[in-house]
Amino acid sequence: MSNKEKNKSNRREFIQKGMRLSLGLSIAGVAGISALRVNADDYVWQLDPFKCVSCGRCADHCVVSPSAVKCVHAYALCGYCDLCGGYLKPNANELSTAAENQLCPTAAIKRKFVEEPYFEYEIIEDLCFGCAKCVAGCTAFGNGSLHLQVRHNLCVNCNECSIARVCPADAFERVPASQPYLIKGDFTAGDDHA
Amino acid sequence: MTKLKHFLITLSLFLINLPLWAQAQQRFPKPEFETGYVQPPTTTPDPRALFLEYLDVFVLIAALAIVSWLALKKRSRSGIFWMSVFSLLYFGFYREGCICSIGAIQNVALAIADPTYVLPLSALLFFIIPLAVALFFGRTFCAGVCPLGAIQDLVAFRPIELPKWLQKVLGLIPYLYLALAILYVVTKSDFIICRYDPFVGIFRFDAEFQMLLLGGLFLLVGVFVARPYCRFFCPYGVLLGWMSTFSKKHLTITPSACIQCKLCANSCPFGAIEEPTPAGSNRKQDVKRFMVYLLFIPLWIGLGGLSGSMLHVPLSKMNKTVYLANELVENPELINDQEHIDVVTFMQSGKSMDELVIEAKQIQSQFYWGGWIMGAFMGLVIGLTLVKLSSHRSRQDYETDKTNCLSCGRCMDYCPVKVNDKMLIMSKK
Amino acid sequence: MTIPTKDKINIAKTIAWIASGFSIIICVMLIANYLQFKSVDPLESDALNTLVERLHDTPRDEALKEDIRALDLLIRKAYFTSQWQIRIGAYLLVFGIIIFILAIRYQNSLKSKLDELEGIEKNPFLDKQLARKWVVYVGAGLVVLALLSGFLSYNALDTYEPELIADSAVTPETTQPDQEVVVNEPGTESAEAQTAPIVENEVREQQESTTTETSQSETKTEQEQKTQPVEKPLSGTASKIVSQEELNKNYPFFRGALTNGIAFQTNIPETWDGANGENILWKIKPPKHGYNSPIIWGDKLFITGADEEARQVYCYNKNTGDLIWQVNADNIPGSPATMPQTTDDTGLAAPSVATNGQAVFAIFGSGDLISLDMDGKRLWAKNLGVPDNHYGHSSSLIIYKDKLIVQYDTNKGGKVFAFNTSTGEKAWEKVRTGVRISWASPVLIDSGEGAQLILSAEPLVISYNPDTGEKLWEVDCMMGEVGPSVGYADGIAYAANEYATLAAIDVKTGETIWEESEYLPEVSSPLAADGLLIIATSYGVIACYDAKDGTKYWEQECDDGFYGSPMLADGKVYIIDMSGKTHIFKLAKEYQLVAEPELGEKAACTPAFSDGKIYLRGFENLYCIGK
Repeated sequence: MSNKEKNKSNRREFIQKGMRLSLGLSIAGVAGISALRVNADDYVWQLDPFKCVSCGRCADHCVVSPSAVKCVHAYALCGYCDLCGGYLKPNANELSTAAENQLCPTAAIKRKFVEEPYFEYEIIEDLCFGCAKCVAGCTAFGNGSLHLQVRHNLCVNCNECSIARVCPADAFERVPASQPYLIKGDFTAGDDHA
Repeated sequence: MTKLKHFLITLSLFLINLPLWAQAQQRFPKPEFETGYVQPPTTTPDPRALFLEYLDVFVLIAALAIVSWLALKKRSRSGIFWMSVFSLLYFGFYREGCICSIGAIQNVALAIADPTYVLPLSALLFFIIPLAVALFFGRTFCAGVCPLGAIQDLVAFRPIELPKWLQKVLGLIPYLYLALAILYVVTKSDFIICRYDPFVGIFRFDAEFQMLLLGGLFLLVGVFVARPYCRFFCPYGVLLGWMSTFSKKHLTITPSACIQCKLCANSCPFGAIEEPTPAGSNRKQDVKRFMVYLLFIPLWIGLGGLSGSMLHVPLSKMNKTVYLANELVENPELINDQEHIDVVTFMQSGKSMDELVIEAKQIQSQFYWGGWIMGAFMGLVIGLTLVKLSSHRSRQDYETDKTNCLSCGRCMDYCPVKVNDKMLIMSKK
Repeated sequence: MTIPTKDKINIAKTIAWIASGFSIIICVMLIANYLQFKSVDPLESDALNTLVERLHDTPRDEALKEDIRALDLLIRKAYFTSQWQIRIGAYLLVFGIIIFILAIRYQNSLKSKLDELEGIEKNPFLDKQLARKWVVYVGAGLVVLALLSGFLSYNALDTYEPELIADSAVTPETTQPDQEVVVNEPGTESAEAQTAPIVENEVREQQESTTTETSQSETKTEQEQKTQPVEKPLSGTASKIVSQEELNKNYPFFRGALTNGIAFQTNIPETWDGANGENILWKIKPPKHGYNSPIIWGDKLFITGADEEARQVYCYNKNTGDLIWQVNADNIPGSPATMPQTTDDTGLAAPSVATNGQAVFAIFGSGDLISLDMDGKRLWAKNLGVPDNHYGHSSSLIIYKDKLIVQYDTNKGGKVFAFNTSTGEKAWEKVRTGVRISWASPVLIDSGEGAQLILSAEPLVISYNPDTGEKLWEVDCMMGEVGPSVGYADGIAYAANEYATLAAIDVKTGETIWEESEYLPEVSSPLAADGLLIIATSYGVIACYDAKDGTKYWEQECDDGFYGSPMLADGKVYIIDMSGKTHIFKLAKEYQLVAEPELGEKAACTPAFSDGKIYLRGFENLYCIGK
């Protein structure tokens, strides 16, 4: 090998080494800066039911179908009303479980008699697809115990929730996986639950 | 009588109010059941366990280690192939494409830009580890760990070679994609890498129709143009390419000395094999051209920055707030539209139009400055590409193009020189 | 047994063909299913909705009910079957593709050991040259494209002028210059006004006690003003600020000139009878229904009425009961095509109007806010956004200096606005974070250290500076659906609501002085005066407390509940119960009933007083009662 070529290859080696070092340092730098914001916990999506406007987009915009957002029932807040704004259509024909009176398009709410004059309402999650019709009804006329929430057994936890992108009320947020639910009654509006 | 009743009501209300949840008054107080009815609990199925997230990190590290070993030491193409099938099954179909290193770019960028953003450690590790490995062993992540690469690799039945100019031109797209992705993340507008991931829908058996169609299209094109997403779109590939270019070790076509048999010449479906080139005939002219292109770099940067900043208005329309503000300013009658969910929600939010427009303008100005930086970056990329294309390096052997080589190991199979021969040569020496 | 390689290849080929055919068929079916799924939303069936509509007309039609049930079941079945089909189809498709890939790979592995690309002619120098050319072309192309689209794109935001939208409809031809009003010695019992140089201004000052002491200084002020150059606005919309004295002479707001339930009129009748017409000077039926209370300025009395079809403001001659004018609040930009749902006990015209003698302001349950001059000519109007209110918006309007104050607490958040009375421009606006919906009306008080605007809602009672909207203090004491507005006297504001508490709040510090919860009003607002506090509940109890420490002096049970608020006039408290009986009693430490005249119809209004007459609005009719 001639001397000249040797020099050349040495020089190349040197450049390579220098670049490698600086790239390594920049990786370390990026890692260091972002390490300031790191949390060892995982983060999962939830929607703030107090911000939710029941627009119905959760049903259409989730990457899984039917949507991973379902109606949940915070029983602790329920008034167990006979005339339930979440169960019955407005101007319902009568207070019964007949199809013509039910608000839910998939009949995903089960109405069970408890005692006079109280009824329990149970969500059948397999049927619910998150259209929020009952949520709108319950919020407008009742206690708002029916509300939407991301169900973690269904949610695939996308990096950016595709519903969050279209949510008109900016109700979606990431919460630590160690406290994975914002269920009404467990927290009140304005709580710092981020 | 009425007073007594009132007392009872008040009393019962106070009793009900005792639990913590009843901070807020309810329209219909919860009844006191006489039949011993027990209120069912609200079910809350747990999210994926945290240790499983770290299992993913472990699998990533293990897979990277194995693939690197297979590529650099064992030199086994079939080993790498089966590892990629495993990764496709694990990171692709089992983990449904999320978490992925490509998307993690956005989390890291957002964490740097937004002090309130909390970055999960697993996302940071997914971003950092493949880059660090690439700095030492080349893009072994692409070869056998990335599920997006794996699914494309599987369908590359009839790859054709693209002309160099086309490869270079298409090769600019990932830089643009990376710049745009970071711009949209930093302005808190969107995660475009995740949104337009063509394969995640296939992994989940579920996606918007258009995205599935796009995924199918990529696979169809991938039959002839091997790994189109990896080579011409993947923004993470840009970063990996930088690392790999200066990697300490890298996969080699031949385990020892090239015997110039040319068997590997047409083996690489990614056009990442550099053929031997004789020394340039007109060195003076080469140097002159090189200098000209070098001097043009600032011009490219300036032009790029200017055009990037000019684009800030159309680019910013991807942002929800800017879009809504635009819509309302252009069509003031929309505030009457009870069907327009965004407008209705905005009207109810208590925000005034002035506040909305001010907020939108702030975001637009972020896009303006972001546009400058993005454009300047693209200008630099074009300038450097041209410089690189005008430099000449003589080469005697067939070598891998370390930037673009995906370390898939196909070429190794073609090389007649085997490790044993290497031992032989060594021993003869 | 060994199969020849050629046969193996053929078998693999056949399998690949079959698998690809299968996949394509599944693919086509899936796409067809998808398109069908998208084109008809199975859960928004028009047919079903039509049937349900029809059921409203014939609620007893059993056959129709059966039809609905059958159709509903069919639709739901179709929906879930379709979902199932898509899922199964996806699995089958993947299965087909996997087989296809395996077959092809197997076939390739059999064919030759290694497959090669179709090489293309390569020349390192020419290739690079070509590549450079193309990169330059594409780079330049990108720059040109970017610049072009940058030039061509139109930034609508640059064309935005602040508050262009809200005011787009009716703006007066001239806008008034900003009023600069300085209050001298606020809180002392004399009002002095300073006038802005251009427009004649009078300062309205909050006062809590008598007017007699101020009359002297008032005349002085008026004399001073006459020496000022006076320039009348071109549009005829006067924008002078009315003095408190002038307000006191009239009855400009819900619960009187001070918005605290005290009227300065005297010689008020104590007996009447709606049934036999005793002391009833006139009685008329307003064209449209409304729960708002009458408001009086000069000889004019204002009320509103509304239903689904129209929202109207009425002006009556207070002496004769003749309708002087009526104006429709229509063609307001932003006004909803269909009215929001309200309950029968609230309706669309629950808020009372406000006037400053130059203009009348009315708000409706649709969020429409309208300003009319005293002759019924529209000055400006705007929609504040349809309020999300499950009963109906009911907060009345008040005026502070040149600002019209609107409390706008809805289910979707609360706001308080101050609009310039003459132009309708927003003087300030505050988002009321932390409060929920409320039905209370705003109250203006003078703490002695400056004017305060006190708003009650769940869970906060908040005081604002009415000039700037700056928050002065807040007290967390309310719960539930707040209907009563606060009462005020002698530096103490009284906030109360059923199921919550009755809290006496020091307006200087925002501290709660005492709390009580025995008798709490649901709708009726507290009345405080002369060291006493009157509470009227919706279940019919009137209670009197010591205003300073909350000691209860007396309670009186009545047959009917109270929705109207008590008014103090001439030393007597007037309050009308829901049956229409007015309870008149002395404001004293003992309950001394003066009279209990019957109106003869249900009522939920608060009485208005003027010139020795009392004006009452029943559910149907408007009464003028005088001796």
